[in-house]
Amino acid sequence: MAPAATSTEWSTDFDTARRQRLFQSPPKDTTAYPMLAAAVDPHIESFNSIFARKGLLDEGIKDIGTKVFLDGDPYAQPEETGPRNRLHVRIREVFFDKAVLPATNKFALQNRNVFPAECRERHATYKGKYRARIDWRVNNGDWQEEVRDLGYVPIMLKSNRCHLENLTPDQLVKAKEETEELGGYFIVNGIEKLIRMLLVNRRNYPMAIKRGAFTNRGPGYTPYGIVIRCVRRDQTSQTNALHYLSDGNVNLRFSWRKAEYLVPAMMVLKALVETNDREIFEGVVGAAGSPGLGEKQFVTDRVELLLRTYRVYGIHSKAKTRAYLGEKFKVILQVPEDMTDEDAGTEFLRRIVLPHLGSYDVTESQNNDKFRMLLFMVRKLYALVEGECAVDNPDAVQHQEVLLGGHLYGMILKERLDEWLNSLRLPLMEWGRKNDWPAFTSPQFQRDFLPKIMKRTNENIGQAMEYFLSTGNLVSPTGLDLQQTAGFCVVAEKINFYRFISHFRMVHRGAFFAQLKTTTVRKLLPESWGFLCPVHTPDGSPCGLLNHFAHKCKIATESVDVSAIPGLVAQLGVQSRSSASLDASVVVQLDGRVLGFCSPKQAKIVGDTLRYWKVEGTHGVPLELEVGYIPNSNGGQYPGLYMFSQSARMYRPVKYLPLDRLDYVGPFEQPFMSIACTNPEIVSGDSTHVEYDPTNLLSILANMTPFSDHNQSPRNMYQCQMGKQSMGTPGTALRYRTDNKTYRLQTGQTPVVRPPLHNEYGLDNFPNGTNAVVAVISYTGYDMDDAMILNKSSHERGFGHGTIYKTKICDLEEGTRKSRSARLVSKLFGFPPGGLVRAAWREKLDDDGLPRIGTALQAGDIIAAWHTVSYDPASNEYVNRDLQTQFFKYKEDELAFVEEVRIIGSEDGTSPCQKISIKLRVPRSPVIGDKFSSRHGQKGVCSQKWPAIDMPFSESGIQPDVIINPHAFPSRMTIGMFVESLAGKAGALHGIPQDSTPFRFDEQNTATDFFGHQLMKAGYNYYGNEPMYSGITGQEFAADIYLGVVYYQRLRHMVNDKYQVRTTGPVNQLTGQPIKGRKKGGGIRVGEMERDALLAHGTAFLLQDRLMNCSDYMKAPICRACGSFLSTQPTVSEFDRKKKGNTMVRCRRCAKLAEGSESTSEIWMDGQGVRYTGGDDVAVVAVPGVLKYLDVELASMGVRLKFNVSP
Amino acid sequence: MSSQNYSYNPSGQQASAPVTAESGRSVEYTCGDCDASVQLKRGEPIRCRNCGHRVLYKQRTNRMVQFEAR
Repeated sequence: MAPAATSTEWSTDFDTARRQRLFQSPPKDTTAYPMLAAAVDPHIESFNSIFARKGLLDEGIKDIGTKVFLDGDPYAQPEETGPRNRLHVRIREVFFDKAVLPATNKFALQNRNVFPAECRERHATYKGKYRARIDWRVNNGDWQEEVRDLGYVPIMLKSNRCHLENLTPDQLVKAKEETEELGGYFIVNGIEKLIRMLLVNRRNYPMAIKRGAFTNRGPGYTPYGIVIRCVRRDQTSQTNALHYLSDGNVNLRFSWRKAEYLVPAMMVLKALVETNDREIFEGVVGAAGSPGLGEKQFVTDRVELLLRTYRVYGIHSKAKTRAYLGEKFKVILQVPEDMTDEDAGTEFLRRIVLPHLGSYDVTESQNNDKFRMLLFMVRKLYALVEGECAVDNPDAVQHQEVLLGGHLYGMILKERLDEWLNSLRLPLMEWGRKNDWPAFTSPQFQRDFLPKIMKRTNENIGQAMEYFLSTGNLVSPTGLDLQQTAGFCVVAEKINFYRFISHFRMVHRGAFFAQLKTTTVRKLLPESWGFLCPVHTPDGSPCGLLNHFAHKCKIATESVDVSAIPGLVAQLGVQSRSSASLDASVVVQLDGRVLGFCSPKQAKIVGDTLRYWKVEGTHGVPLELEVGYIPNSNGGQYPGLYMFSQSARMYRPVKYLPLDRLDYVGPFEQPFMSIACTNPEIVSGDSTHVEYDPTNLLSILANMTPFSDHNQSPRNMYQCQMGKQSMGTPGTALRYRTDNKTYRLQTGQTPVVRPPLHNEYGLDNFPNGTNAVVAVISYTGYDMDDAMILNKSSHERGFGHGTIYKTKICDLEEGTRKSRSARLVSKLFGFPPGGLVRAAWREKLDDDGLPRIGTALQAGDIIAAWHTVSYDPASNEYVNRDLQTQFFKYKEDELAFVEEVRIIGSEDGTSPCQKISIKLRVPRSPVIGDKFSSRHGQKGVCSQKWPAIDMPFSESGIQPDVIINPHAFPSRMTIGMFVESLAGKAGALHGIPQDSTPFRFDEQNTATDFFGHQLMKAGYNYYGNEPMYSGITGQEFAADIYLGVVYYQRLRHMVNDKYQVRTTGPVNQLTGQPIKGRKKGGGIRVGEMERDALLAHGTAFLLQDRLMNCSDYMKAPICRACGSFLSTQPTVSEFDRKKKGNTMVRCRRCAKLAEGSESTSEIWMDGQGVRYTGGDDVAVVAVPGVLKYLDVELASMGVRLKFNVSP
Repeated sequence: MSSQNYSYNPSGQQASAPVTAESGRSVEYTCGDCDASVQLKRGEPIRCRNCGHRVLYKQRTNRMVQFEAR
């Protein structure tokens, strides 16, 4: 019988035995924590969509199309060359392989797969071979094909190109991964990198924007515009904007290859379809004779003007308009030189104008869609200018979607392919020029094309992708319609598991907005409810820009099938003709395509019907469809029914009341829906939906804060940050990881007080803190100002004991060129044969010159020995000639132990050891000055480790582990911490876990009462107070002490990494002032504010000491007469040898040349032997060194400083 | 390669005379994949003889390791 399937049901229970079994024998079917896996799904699935069949790249290749190059001298006159030959090149398909060993490795026989764990250990990149099959032909000849290697492209873990895809936890453990390996990131040079999600404008929705910057486009431009971000099927986007000019005209703006262009919208309309002025007029204003046409004077006037001003171009038919556009845009579109103007115009419309409605093989009906959409946009623009509708807020999540990592990756891959084909032009030209312009039909071309011309292009797309991931910089000729070029990738740090998982739920607004002076983009808007967590955002500079998804928020990664929608909508009475008034007809759109118009009342019915069907799952309406009905309002958002089915949308589950079933709601529709938060809040006849749980609006981390509804909200924000900084358990596969620095808490525990989600997300696998008995009492005076006292005995029993693991890489090839072979090895690890080996060296190093495992290292100890070698071909050996041993040293100040030594071989398995990676263990038991925090933003610094005998004790003999000061509470109002303390105490007494989900208690049914009764049942005070006795005198305190169990986190900020002291030390060369930086032994700046404080205090001597004596104190000679530092110079004695000490300093400027008649005692000599008299009014003063420097600098500009010296 | 002078002789060191490194001494490592022990000498390519894996771990020293525990 097969073993029972792994249960994925979790409650708030401890489940100790169950977890133990999961650890001992990891499940062989599925993970026990599906919620955790779902958290990273957007990353993995978006990556999978790149290479799926009919995926992003397949679409992208279609969009790239066939490139055509012409032969012959481009500068020659056409009559000289005759007809030119056309070389067609296109990409047929691309291949992306899994990670395997290169063919040069002849040694690995059974298993040639390269697993991610190996890449981490070897500090290598997890990448697979990327190839493309290209077709090419000359003129109308036969297509010839060829497969080209495009380098190695990094692979996302657990994607469809990763070996870990669909592995069971059991297999994952065998592949040296966590049981719950999440994937979703890349490994680049051994570092885990991830592409951060970005918030971008919602696709295919024309947004009404009013922006002052629009007026900078030129004279006549107004702040009004309609912006639509059109997304092609390969997820690349093209933004089209309509601008309103003060005379009523409308221009279309777009940017192409980072340059902006403006075209009259009329011209585009006329080019798209064969049309006439009446059709355009009726399309914008409304059908003739429709209701409300009379009131539309504003629009009719402007459309009339639009039509009239366009007449000056004198272009009439569709073909002529296209030819006109083609002529203008031929060059920037990089179409072949011999393409006709009309075809170039068609190409322009295909690529740039509303490409979401058709970007390749554009049909007549697609052009008609574009035409109707453009008309609608003009219409909305006029409505905006008229004041009939409000501007759309681009900062609201309603008008945003997510740029997923995989989609961005696919966009770059597509663009690289495109650029690669385009880059053929140059080698082709060069080849032509060198060979006297042979024809493409010549046999020479046949011979040279692949090996010579193709070879000259940069085919290494893999390297470009690796660069992108490792730096986060986007190198792109088009800019990919994004507002930033850097900061796309971040390191997925594994400080602890909270931080790691948060990276995957993180979404950034864009680096562009970070520099904005206004704070509007950072505001928390009610639209974000359920999509972006209101609590989980850092404070400080990225506040409000760096958000995290609510834990139930999903991201669509593929388009759903909506082929049935247009038919259904038509059946429900939507027609193609609109009337002039918005009260009579509103638009119905699907993914930025105008399906038709109907009355607002009807639109609501259509929307409601579609929603019913979509929840019901009938009529071919998919559940994930977003049906956004915007009702008519008085100058509000432009009404209509807008449906969205494509990927990159956020959506979240709520319950649909009419059917009592799951419905997905998107951010666009949510503001116009009535979703009750809890069941009692349902309003009959109004509410259509109800939340499954009010906690759905919080992120994973925010959900882990116990009783967060009792806290003042900023405290919950602080906890979200501190949870990510605590020393916890980064993972269980630490043995196979080589992070630069990892923190680990030795004594992690499961919290007694936690929500069921804690188990749901499997966070017990990664404990993040310790349950501590906390007394809120002012006991010793060492607990003031957020300090906390640790019980010394708790500390000795291991409370908060942590470890830091650091990895040091010793690379012999560092700095040398990458292209190497086994013959070029110039250094080897170990002692040179025949060389002297000191006994002291052998203390730390083994026979092979590598450190012994378990060795303790102090600062300056050696950790590896190496020597230079040269290859001797005769004996096939590496010979050392100098017998010198050189060392890598351990440079940090702290004691460390060698934990692991990894000898890293090359990928092909032939070269000797050139790189080792040493993992060091730094023990960090808590010391005074280390930072701790509860889960309520209550951080504190350990101020004393108080002996247990002096600690206060309760009647049952309990001593607190931690003492905190009562003053931490009144101003911060973290009532949640009190409740946690209460609940933790009751839980510990009864041996039960406590559910700490927020919003479970209310005024009638209070948490205090619930847990108070539990305490009472255990024989304790209902309120959680206890009489306590002084540990020193043994007397009972006058007040009862609030004593309970609180989960404490140890934060990674430790004094050992921070303390900075200096008496004397390195100084700046130029100024003589102390340098800064803890690592270099520098000082801490006494800045302006500190100076002010000292001044105000009247501590002048202290100020003098800080700013002068301990800084750039300098004795400098100055001439009293001329007041200059620069003219003084030491004299040279004429006769004596250099005498130390009393060398005279004279002012050269005030001195006169000696005439020979003066007495020898008055004469002095400079270094060149010129004799002077006078200039002896020189004093030595103490000045700051920079003053002299300033004098020199000013002198170089011809400014003299004169100092009056007195007395 | 000259594997003739392979002789691991820990007691061959003289206490008084300055110790010089020998060339042919091999050290045991553990394969990162199949856990087999791999003997490598100076200058030999890094790979497991058994499975061809490219990461080797240094084994724990069998010398006594003693620290002052304070």
